[in-house]
Amino acid sequence: METRFRLPPVDLPMAIAALALLVIGLLMVFSATTVPGAHQGLWVRQLLWLGFALCAAWVAAAIHYRAYESLAYPLYLLSLVLLAAVLVVGTSAMGAKRWLDLGPLRFQPSEIAKIATVFVLARRFDAPRLDLTRLRHWLVPLLITSIPFALVAKEPDLGTSLAFPVILIAMYYWAGMPLGQLALGLSPMLNVLLFFLTGSLWWFGALFVGLVAAVRPKLSSLLVVLALNGAVAYTMPHLWEHLHDYQKRRIQTFLNPGQDPYGAGYQLIQSKIAVGSGGFVGKGFLRGTQKALAFLPMRHTDFIYSVVGEELGFLGALTVVILYAIVVLRGFRLALAARNGFASLMTVGLVSALFYHIMVNILMTIGWAPVTGLPLPLISYGGTALLVNCVQLGLLQNVALRRQEY
Amino acid sequence: MSPSSPANRSKDQRFALLAALALCGFLLIVAGLMRLQIGQHDYYQRLAQENRVRPEVLRAPRGAIFDRTGLLLADNYPSFNIVFRPTPAESAQRMPVTSGWLARVGQLVEGDTTRLKTLVALANASGQTAVLRRGSPFAVAAAVEESRSDLPGVEVMIEPIRHYPHGELASHLLGYAGEIGDQELEERADQGYRPGDLVGRTGVERSYEEVLRGRDGAEFVVVNAWGRRVATLREGPPLKPVPGHDLVLTLDLRVQQAMEEVMAGVDRGAAVAVDPRDGGILAMVSRPAFDPNEFARGLSVDRWNELAQGGSNPLLNRAIQGAYPPGSTFKIVTMLAALRAGVATPATRLKPCSGSYAFGGRVFGCWKREGHGSLDFVEAIQHSCDVYFYQIGLRLGLPRLEATAHAFGLGDRTGVDLPQERKGLVPGEAWYQRRWGSHMRKGLLLNLAIGQGELLVTPLQLALLAAEVSRDGRPLRAHVVQAVRGVDDFRPGRPSQPGVDADETAWEALHRGLELVVSAGTGTAARVPGLAVAGKTGTAQNPHGKDHALFVCYAPVEKPTLAMAFVIENSGHGGSVAAPLAGAVLRRVFGADSLARPPVVQAPDTSEVIRGD
Repeated sequence: METRFRLPPVDLPMAIAALALLVIGLLMVFSATTVPGAHQGLWVRQLLWLGFALCAAWVAAAIHYRAYESLAYPLYLLSLVLLAAVLVVGTSAMGAKRWLDLGPLRFQPSEIAKIATVFVLARRFDAPRLDLTRLRHWLVPLLITSIPFALVAKEPDLGTSLAFPVILIAMYYWAGMPLGQLALGLSPMLNVLLFFLTGSLWWFGALFVGLVAAVRPKLSSLLVVLALNGAVAYTMPHLWEHLHDYQKRRIQTFLNPGQDPYGAGYQLIQSKIAVGSGGFVGKGFLRGTQKALAFLPMRHTDFIYSVVGEELGFLGALTVVILYAIVVLRGFRLALAARNGFASLMTVGLVSALFYHIMVNILMTIGWAPVTGLPLPLISYGGTALLVNCVQLGLLQNVALRRQEY
Repeated sequence: MSPSSPANRSKDQRFALLAALALCGFLLIVAGLMRLQIGQHDYYQRLAQENRVRPEVLRAPRGAIFDRTGLLLADNYPSFNIVFRPTPAESAQRMPVTSGWLARVGQLVEGDTTRLKTLVALANASGQTAVLRRGSPFAVAAAVEESRSDLPGVEVMIEPIRHYPHGELASHLLGYAGEIGDQELEERADQGYRPGDLVGRTGVERSYEEVLRGRDGAEFVVVNAWGRRVATLREGPPLKPVPGHDLVLTLDLRVQQAMEEVMAGVDRGAAVAVDPRDGGILAMVSRPAFDPNEFARGLSVDRWNELAQGGSNPLLNRAIQGAYPPGSTFKIVTMLAALRAGVATPATRLKPCSGSYAFGGRVFGCWKREGHGSLDFVEAIQHSCDVYFYQIGLRLGLPRLEATAHAFGLGDRTGVDLPQERKGLVPGEAWYQRRWGSHMRKGLLLNLAIGQGELLVTPLQLALLAAEVSRDGRPLRAHVVQAVRGVDDFRPGRPSQPGVDADETAWEALHRGLELVVSAGTGTAARVPGLAVAGKTGTAQNPHGKDHALFVCYAPVEKPTLAMAFVIENSGHGGSVAAPLAGAVLRRVFGADSLARPPVVQAPDTSEVIRGD
């Protein structure tokens, strides 16, 4: 070959895997929405969105990531405003306010907030002489992440809100925080969790002492962590005791919506039947027979993976998992290869958010995680989600194109 | 960063950990898929093939309501609904709706076939269950159950409806619970309500909705194409229904029944009895009343309009939503305000009453045209002398009168645990400024002192006033619910008003005066032999028709256990209309057999009471 066409140095395996997932997604949405019912024909809209999303991905990849770096804070503030707006004027679906209605466009500001938070954190962690054992250096990112986390949790959308701590933890770690220190910084969260699980504070207390002994944090850090934990230890039992039974039940429903037998609980069982009946090779494209699924409103969105499992069987479902694994592992690999600190950190943040969504959705579909209402990235029906996912992948390719730059 | 810290771990190592974590996650998914799609494939295959799975409601019974002695006031009752449950649209086994099928079903549910046809078509289109006949007799339900194999899709569903064994008794206080409507369903979507659920609409049923309501459970059953249950699915955690909490009210059925009987002849009015020891409401009657069972069974539009828009509005709980001028019952407040402020003593004699009082170019009459002559303060309240109280009002001034009224909780919600309570009105200087743009003219003060003018109170506020007077001004929190079964730390709220400080002598004079009202004053119709009753009559002028008759009282004076207020709309004088009613209740409650019977504080365990479902 004499005339040498040089492909830009995109991450080819990742791009191919992502495109394959998009195609599978479109086919599955097609299959799920050809059944007579309220959602018939929605796949056409999905196709249009896909075209649009690919263009957006292209743009996201073309603009130098330095632009995103400088836009990080404005974007972050904007997303906070949008999140607050959702709580005030948002459109509710299934009892939670998650959407903003802008004429023909309906979108979840939490999607933007995730990306914006990644930008801001990447920028902070990219600072010279970063020392994550120092109070100021780790506390500010914690606060930055807590605000969108709290706003999204308030919607209430526990599933999406947990993506924020996942992003933070991954980026802390990638930025060089020692594991022990990481555990210490996150201990207030651990504290709450253990309290809910065990009903007593002693478990956490013991763990905490051990942790402090192992990590030996700086005094200022220790004091703040102690204060946070003290506040948690003081308020939790207090709060819990003053709740009436029905209020406690509400919290439990919030933590596990699958408890609602007519909504989520029913879908969970239908989903398992669909996936399980798919067997090794599946029933064939468009030949899903799990009729009862036609009664479910979410088979083309949150439960799309159950259609994959039913029609394409274990082989198809496994293929999808492998494709996702390629995207995620190539993503982490990219973070390793990127020489620029911001780019590398941004990559880890984006990939870990993606990974979290994949895990939560698929584990829910097979009945191993609570029903949280998170769509499956790149596959589920939903225009803006598709757009945002493609932009995320565009950003990853952006890093790939410039991985040699410092 | 110290060089020895693990933070210096190379990027490679960190990458390795992240990648390993991700890999573990994906392997977990693969394991889950293998279990489901290979290991349990046969099981799910069978479920998917000819059978269907659907959730079967395990209804959580709504909490029952008891009076303070453990007598039942509200529980649940099974109602048989004949329903049509559609099979999925794509099901090969869907039964065609034939005319024979329609005829049979129509015959069974006694409905016309065109209506049935639409209902069934709608159900098939939406996938939702359609109710063909609500509340059908047991015989019909049994007949349907028998012929189910011939009538695919048709089933009997047992749904609880609310049952109020005493009918109209305390209907306003209890309120009612009925099937949730479409609009409400949408509004309360996030609280997990579903079609067919009961929801409290008024009264205790509404204010304690969250407590009374349980949480439905479910089991997943496998049914065949004919809707017949084939098996129960052992999937997921068992979702047992959580029953709602039972409520124990402060209500005493004896007192309530006595009051209901006495009020039966009243067209419009309200009466409230409060326990002066703790503020618990012993009885509450509002006339006209309604039968909550009617609402529980479901009301036709016509009947609803008749109730809601009829002239007397039976749905209005006049005891907390009716605001009336207090009339002379307010003289209690005026007297106490004067004694507190020191503008008079119990022995003070003012200008004798000649039947009228001239002030500011106007003549203010006393209700007794002939006049009362010279009276001291105690005699003045005994005979409810307007002229005496005019003069007291002038000495007192508005701010001090207003302050004492507020201290008794007038003009503010009592905070009772019932929905939509009204505040009433105690006008102050600021109110007159807003309303008229000028200072209050002194002439108005004369009217306020005898309870006329802009003052408005609810019967509950009046009963609470009597109760607080009986315990020398210590404040009370009016409440209806005494205990919530299964919630140990349930407590009624704290009083929202501060209560009234006054000298021993002031209280003593007030008690004496009010006792004289009943023994030898305007309220003798409330007299009960052998019982020391203190009370005050009131007659409130109102622009619409006859005066309202009012009476407040408490007994026994030395150790009060009952305080009451009566307001009878457009009926005449307090002394001749309202006081006799109070007397009748007092005689019933403190009669020979029930005298001094202490109210039960903790109700006996009645969890064995059979509920409707």
